[in-house]
Amino acid sequence: MMLKKDPIVPPASTAGPQPDAVQLPKGRLIALKLAFALFFVLIAGRLVEVQILEAAKYQALARRQYEQTHALPAVRGAIYDRYGNVLVSNSMHISFAADPVMVGEHADRVAGRFSRVFGKPRSFYLAKLRSTTASGSLRRFVWLERRVHPELGQHLEPSGLSGIVLVDEAKRLYHYDDVAGTLVGFTDIDNKGISGLELQFEEYLRGKDGSIVMLRDGLGRPRPSVDYPRKEPRDGYHLTLTIDLAYQAIVEEELKRGVAVNKADAGLAVMLNPKTGEILALANVPGLNPNKLSSYDVSSARNRVVTDVFEPGSVFKAVTASAAYEHHLVSPEKRFYAERGKYKAPLAGSKFRLITDSHAYDWLTFQEAIEVSSNIVMAKVGPTIGAERLYRQARDFGFGIPTGVDLPGEVRGRLKKPFEWSGTTLQTLAYGYEVAVTPLQIASAYAAVANSGVLMKPYVVARVQNNEGEVILEQRPQRIRRVISSETATLLTRAFEGVVERGTALDARIEGVCVAGKTGTARQVINGKYGEGHYTASFVGYFPAADPQVVCLVMLDKPRARGYYGGLTSAPVFRAIAERIVNTTGRFTKTPQPREHSQPENGISVPDVRTLQVMIATKILEGQELKGQMIGTGDIVVRQIPDPGKRLEAGDVVQLVLNGTEANVAGGRAAVPDVRGMSLRRAINRLVVSNFDVQVRGSGVVVEQVPAAGQNVHAGATIHLVCEPRTLLSAALY
Amino acid sequence: MTRTQRNHIDLPTLIVVLTLMVLSLGVVYSASATWAMEKFGESNRLLNLHALRVLLGLVVLFVGMTIDYKRFKKLTKPVVIAAVVLLGVTLVLGGEVKGAARWLRFGGLSLQPSEFAKFALLFHLCTLISTKGEAIRDLKKGFLPMMIWIGSVAGLVLVQPNFSTGGMIILISMVMLFLSRARFLHLAATVAAALPLLVGIALTHPHVMQRISSFINGTSSTGRPSYQLLQGIIGFGNGGLFGVGLGESKQRDFFLPESYGDFVFSIVGEEYGFIGTMFFLALFLVLMLRGFKIAKFARDNFGRLLALGISSAITLYALVNAGVTLGVLPTTGLPMPFVSYGGSSLLFTSFAVGVLLNISAQTDMHPRAAKIPEQTSAAPPHEQKTVRVY
Repeated sequence: MMLKKDPIVPPASTAGPQPDAVQLPKGRLIALKLAFALFFVLIAGRLVEVQILEAAKYQALARRQYEQTHALPAVRGAIYDRYGNVLVSNSMHISFAADPVMVGEHADRVAGRFSRVFGKPRSFYLAKLRSTTASGSLRRFVWLERRVHPELGQHLEPSGLSGIVLVDEAKRLYHYDDVAGTLVGFTDIDNKGISGLELQFEEYLRGKDGSIVMLRDGLGRPRPSVDYPRKEPRDGYHLTLTIDLAYQAIVEEELKRGVAVNKADAGLAVMLNPKTGEILALANVPGLNPNKLSSYDVSSARNRVVTDVFEPGSVFKAVTASAAYEHHLVSPEKRFYAERGKYKAPLAGSKFRLITDSHAYDWLTFQEAIEVSSNIVMAKVGPTIGAERLYRQARDFGFGIPTGVDLPGEVRGRLKKPFEWSGTTLQTLAYGYEVAVTPLQIASAYAAVANSGVLMKPYVVARVQNNEGEVILEQRPQRIRRVISSETATLLTRAFEGVVERGTALDARIEGVCVAGKTGTARQVINGKYGEGHYTASFVGYFPAADPQVVCLVMLDKPRARGYYGGLTSAPVFRAIAERIVNTTGRFTKTPQPREHSQPENGISVPDVRTLQVMIATKILEGQELKGQMIGTGDIVVRQIPDPGKRLEAGDVVQLVLNGTEANVAGGRAAVPDVRGMSLRRAINRLVVSNFDVQVRGSGVVVEQVPAAGQNVHAGATIHLVCEPRTLLSAALY
Repeated sequence: MTRTQRNHIDLPTLIVVLTLMVLSLGVVYSASATWAMEKFGESNRLLNLHALRVLLGLVVLFVGMTIDYKRFKKLTKPVVIAAVVLLGVTLVLGGEVKGAARWLRFGGLSLQPSEFAKFALLFHLCTLISTKGEAIRDLKKGFLPMMIWIGSVAGLVLVQPNFSTGGMIILISMVMLFLSRARFLHLAATVAAALPLLVGIALTHPHVMQRISSFINGTSSTGRPSYQLLQGIIGFGNGGLFGVGLGESKQRDFFLPESYGDFVFSIVGEEYGFIGTMFFLALFLVLMLRGFKIAKFARDNFGRLLALGISSAITLYALVNAGVTLGVLPTTGLPMPFVSYGGSSLLFTSFAVGVLLNISAQTDMHPRAAKIPEQTSAAPPHEQKTVRVY
């Protein structure tokens, strides 16, 4: 039998078992198919649009959603002194930020917990957590607490605090508080340099932040990702300064004392190596503690050594004398009539101008006139030199021109050109008026004299190095020009020695070292007039006179206690500094060298480290191959055994008695030490060492303390101090 | 009747559906892993549930395949009555989901009666159209009775309120009426009457208005689409031409809400790219074309209408879902058939495909090689026209 298949018969055409009487409308079926086809095309077309034509746009949108770039902060560079002592480094702190959207309804709980740990009111945190953008939506990032001690963060149980971000942040740590504070400067909360070297070398110190891309989900939480590249940060470069920490500490300490003793408004000092232009120390009083910025007036952040100008007064006579000697117009022995202290200098017509000296002399040689600082003689020499030569000499010394030092905010001062001069300028300029100079310009000019007449460019940063020690930038001593001949320089030095030996600066004399220098006492212009009793008292000197290693300028603003003469006020400060430097290092006879420097055969002279911070004192002793042994607690050396100047062998021990005595800590309670009569600085040091908090009213010397000395209070309690300006007696005791 | 399956089923249809089901496992896993991990602590929690439903769907599909579709003709009326009752019960007792009473729960099982009602109505409309014949053109005898059924089912779903499913029920019903010989006049009048009603409902329900306005704004150049829609479109775009790769979706990480549900197509687009979305679209196109072909070969008008209705309904769901996720239609909560996570839809759709396959097996599309003489004797005489043996 054969099997054969029937051709397919459309059911409608053949009567089925249940024949459908009616056919379905064919046209409508086609219409339906068309509609579906259109729908398919619509969807496919949209897919082409979204997935092909606009894919890049949506991919970017997606990436912006799920990728989050976190900065890997670079560590800011450290700052070292010339011997590698760390002046500035970083300490790690933690900061808390929040995503208010993620915190959401937990804002109350979060605020409560932060409030408990950090002691600020809940409303403080709630306000932050509910802060909105301009468009009215919640912010996605607010700081809750910045730069808190890592330990505090542990009190915050991290569980259940969704939306809280913990950030490790480096905080600048200034190892010696206000030592070199105005020089080094400080950074803002974002670690950006805003003053001093921190500002000037921001580009080098800052480094370059790296980044890491993290994936996150729609709730803002990070998700693990493996194949995202990490861009490593480049740490900031380190600065090595020309500053000598020991000199800096001494200069700062002595200047502070000088300002206090003389009841001056302020003071400044700058010390240079005349042969190289290296700045060895630079101090401003009042100073600045970059670690505790809020407690200082912002204006004290200024480094007035370069930012402020003064009328120099008699220290400017070096320029007049230089011009006179350089052009062989005057010999040191030439005699002038000093008009018995009152000289009516003739002006145009029948007018005259009265020029006075502080002491009345009949006849003076030119050198004697320098030694006793006779304005009259200088005024008489002025016309002999002539405007053009005097101007050129001043300009050659660098007055009226920025020194080019690597410090921010340097001003050029003002040296009028001869055509701008009035009828009296030639005479008044000759003894240091009608000219505005910066302290650094003065110090630099004297350094040129000390350096046999060659002016060097002052600088403070010797090297910029990276983490690997490679030198990125190096500054070498830079000769600017020969200002005067070495013969002139010798004549000037001889005169300046006379100033110290016989003249106006007897107080600058030190044992065994020949100091050359010049005093200056300039009336200050107050409200457009030269005021009575407002003086700038300065002394600039260098030693040893035969082969000067150190130039140091000390300026006091409005000294009141011991008179106003530079010779009586600033010169003793200079002497104190010089004496201690001589005692401390013995380096001054040679060009400063690293500490490998060998010592004289007959033992080591014990340096004077009293009143210095322990760390600095220890470093100074190490530099002399001596060992420091601390007695008691505290951070300031009050006494040293043996005394300064005694001779010891290398490796011998110097005992350092510290300001604090053993705190009587028992059961978390401690006896309050007696700080009455101490300087505020000492008192604070003393109390902080024993873990007390300090609140201060007034300034100067502590006259009252609450709680009283000897009372047992819990550790960390706040001690209130009432201070009064120090009297001469207490200042001297200090 | 002993045998209903005379010839082979339409294999392309089965393969398409099986492909969709298998792919859905991967897609649902990708789309739900993050959410499941967060919610249940195991990334494959939803995958497991979905796999279970796919298995159940296969069983249901097989059941639908083995039952002679013609037997439904007598059952559609009681079933649609049952569906209406069930919808009424749901309205009274139903579990609330997002403010709508859509679910009925029996112990651990939950069921969406609207999904059931959708197919019950579709089947009954097929019965009505195929039996009424020319009477369909008569308003009182043909058109109105159908409108009453459509109205009661759709109305009960709309008041849940579930506008998406209600709207789809109306849409599919209109397609069926359109395919019948119903008068255009009647259809047009129905649409004219229904429109103000729908607008009224929309106006009284804020979330409907919101979606519509969001849609209108989203398509304008200045407006911003809703968050979910934007995230859905970002998913498609992020996939680009070739996709980011299996399991690499970023949108599923809480950017795209309900990524495994109604917006699962976006995850398809993200992971498999344009290639993937076009492939899925092609599968549905094939499913529709096979359904239309089965209809063409169907032995009777009931089967023809059923085949057209089932394939149209599934395709329409897929297209509307894709249109929603792509922002060319207002956002509605409709799943993508077979692909989206979700039980009720999968089960009823699987059953419907089973019925479609049964219809195909009773056509001459894929005739069995006639070899067994016994079959001839076994076959009931009235079915001899299908396979003739000499």
